[in-house]
Amino acid sequence: MRTFTALFIKQCKDSMRNLPSMMILLIYPAVACIMVTAMGSEEGMSRFFVTMFGAMHCTFAPISIAANILSEEKEKGTLRSLRMAGVSMVNYLLSLSLFVILAAMLTGSLFLVMDSFDTKYAIQFCVTMLCGDVLSTLVGLCIGICSKNVAAANGMAVPVGLVLALLPMLARFNDGIAKAAEYTYSGQISMLLEGGDVTGKTIGVCALYFAGLWVALMILFRRSRTESIQ
Amino acid sequence: MDENNVILLKDVTRSFGEKQVLKGVSLEINKGEIFGLLGPSGAGKTTIINILTGQLSCGGKAEIFGVNCGKIGREVYRRTGAVLDNCGLYERLSCADNLRLYASIHRVSSSGISEALALVGLDGCEHKKVKALSKGMKQRLCIARAILHRPELLFLDEPTSGLDPATASVIHALMSDLRRNGTTIFLTTHNMDEAYRMCDRIALLSDGTIVECGEPGELCRRHCSTSELSIVTTEEERITLTNMPENADEVAGLIRGGRLKSIHSSEPDLGTVFLRLTGKELDK
Repeated sequence: MRTFTALFIKQCKDSMRNLPSMMILLIYPAVACIMVTAMGSEEGMSRFFVTMFGAMHCTFAPISIAANILSEEKEKGTLRSLRMAGVSMVNYLLSLSLFVILAAMLTGSLFLVMDSFDTKYAIQFCVTMLCGDVLSTLVGLCIGICSKNVAAANGMAVPVGLVLALLPMLARFNDGIAKAAEYTYSGQISMLLEGGDVTGKTIGVCALYFAGLWVALMILFRRSRTESIQ
Repeated sequence: MDENNVILLKDVTRSFGEKQVLKGVSLEINKGEIFGLLGPSGAGKTTIINILTGQLSCGGKAEIFGVNCGKIGREVYRRTGAVLDNCGLYERLSCADNLRLYASIHRVSSSGISEALALVGLDGCEHKKVKALSKGMKQRLCIARAILHRPELLFLDEPTSGLDPATASVIHALMSDLRRNGTTIFLTTHNMDEAYRMCDRIALLSDGTIVECGEPGELCRRHCSTSELSIVTTEEERITLTNMPENADEVAGLIRGGRLKSIHSSEPDLGTVFLRLTGKELDK
């Protein structure tokens, strides 16, 4: 627990000084704020922007940040130093995940002040964001663990994150894309953020993604343990 | 494993894909000694450190403090410290924050952080960001991090590589202090002078095998028994003779004729030994 806490504190201090990471965490709330301020007076527009950018935020930010942090630790040799000090990979990944999810939730909560939410909807919004953050963090960890450096991680994380984040928005304009988006977790998250009901399909899609990503992470994790972490 | 042994390697092998990097390495490193592993880049020095610290699996037998290197736990990590080729410091954090993380991991009090920084001559740099430090200061910070928890065994992977002579001598002095306090040091280097001066014993690694192991001076004598005499005559003529009885008359003649200006024996160094054993030169 002591190591876990130390890693978490280190992560907070390091990320607060990491401008690109901070920008990724704040860009969607900032854009949503600008759009709501500019066009929020029109009927339903503020809710539209808040849910759309909220879905993008909880999809893109955790993927990008988790992949970025993990690959940077590998590239700079800091992860190797930690492992040589006896820090287990499980402990490290857990502390990193907690940081990413908390950071994404904290910045995601800014969306709540941009529109008037009733309590029930606010809770649904937060729980949905949390689900999105957890799944996206798993995607980010998978990318980070199999990338040798930050450039390689960004090369994968940005397109994957953008496709997943933009799919729900593009689905509004095209039926074919809408059908495909229903089978992505970001599509289901977006639907829930808009106030949709939890259906069997929602649970099934999210559970399937969670299981698939967990298995992928375990496989990549085992591979990283048998090979040099450098 | 002998009680005095800190590290034991027996017929250790390791391949990366098709390439066999280690081809049956055997070593025993005793408590309290500075052991140097010399070899050119790519010889397998860092691979051996990675195996010993449990970062890489291997064939054969590899033990550290009597524990199989594949099963190293927190207890063993608490007894070891490492300074790697890649510093592994958090550039955006301060020196103290970097050490604070490891102090928490190793359960060292915060006063230990100041002590470690003072020991490497970085007192007063607690709040300095790592990215603002010079290469030599970063290396010293790495050493401070490695000795923060007073390890019994310290791995130093080319600790003076790329440093100026003044910083290198600070690091050498630190190593001597640590040895006096009973720390065992496993040093990898391709600096033969450093190895000769600092190490109690050395092993020469070439193409994944240990070609020779022993005390540096003894190795030189063993492999270069025919030391040479460098003579300068009063006419500034330079003569090199092997230090053998058949050359005694020639030297005596120079002395008798009053033509001898200077004479000294040129002892072979580790680089020469390495060259004779492997046909390769150590990297400069």
